[in-house]
Amino acid sequence: MLGGRLSLGQVIAAVGAIIVLVASFLDWVGSGGVSGGTVTGPGGASVTVPGVSGPSFNVWEIPGSVLDVFIVVAGVVALLPALLAFADAAEEFSFVSAATFVLGVVGILLVAAFLTVDFPGEGAERELGAYIGLAGFLVMAFGGFRTMQEEVVAGEI
Amino acid sequence: MDANRLSQGQLIAAISAIALFIISFLPWFGISGGVVVQGVGAVGGSTNFSLWEAENPLDIYLMIVILVALVPAVLALAGGAGDAPLAPFATALLAGVGTLLILYQVFDTPGDADRKVGLFLGLIACAGVAVGGYLSMQEDVGGERY
Repeated sequence: MLGGRLSLGQVIAAVGAIIVLVASFLDWVGSGGVSGGTVTGPGGASVTVPGVSGPSFNVWEIPGSVLDVFIVVAGVVALLPALLAFADAAEEFSFVSAATFVLGVVGILLVAAFLTVDFPGEGAERELGAYIGLAGFLVMAFGGFRTMQEEVVAGEI
Repeated sequence: MDANRLSQGQLIAAISAIALFIISFLPWFGISGGVVVQGVGAVGGSTNFSLWEAENPLDIYLMIVILVALVPAVLALAGGAGDAPLAPFATALLAGVGTLLILYQVFDTPGDADRKVGLFLGLIACAGVAVGGYLSMQEDVGGERY
């Protein structure tokens, strides 16, 4: 049903948006914790002590961060064509593809900066969610770029 | 350089972007507190943070907004304004989202820190960049420049 109304670029952008939104609920920052080990006592008796993982935070739990709001805005913009198709709405916004591309590229820059020069906390560790979020923004930006190209080919611009 | 080459929208966006850059070095957040020491009395202190000192991706984001807003102005001054057709739209979009992000910080400060003057001036400057970008888009649609 939706395949006929959405272009391939719009589908790719929507998939990227879903990846980013799902990744935002995964852990982005972890505090490392204490690794386990084996303690050998007198008489040769040993006790294995399990490791204790520290608290981890997803995007919504990082104090003072605006990444969560940005992810919502970028995700909604990238999902807009799919949402309109679901609602069977006739409206078409010509700026959505360019907005998806621009917000996707800025999202890549923000998450890349977050993972490198702007990582919060000392001794904290980068978790899987941040990398999935980065991949999601890459997919979203590519989808937006492809949609722009499709619109050029279709003579809409 | 001839400033007359800039449209009204580009000029507003560029001036607001430069203002936003300067404002980013003012205090945006502050932490204050005090303790009562027996025999000494109340001891208090406060520390202010500029946008760059606060642990927040907002600094990177607003730096991108500033650069995107200045690109059309620099290109226009260099006589190559037609090389960045997406720039006015990107300026309006990113500055609009930036205004939203700063507004969010006004209500949700990092670690319940105090709001300082830079936060409010930054909000106004970022809104100025968004307005400049929007006016620049309208000028492009009207065919006045390209």
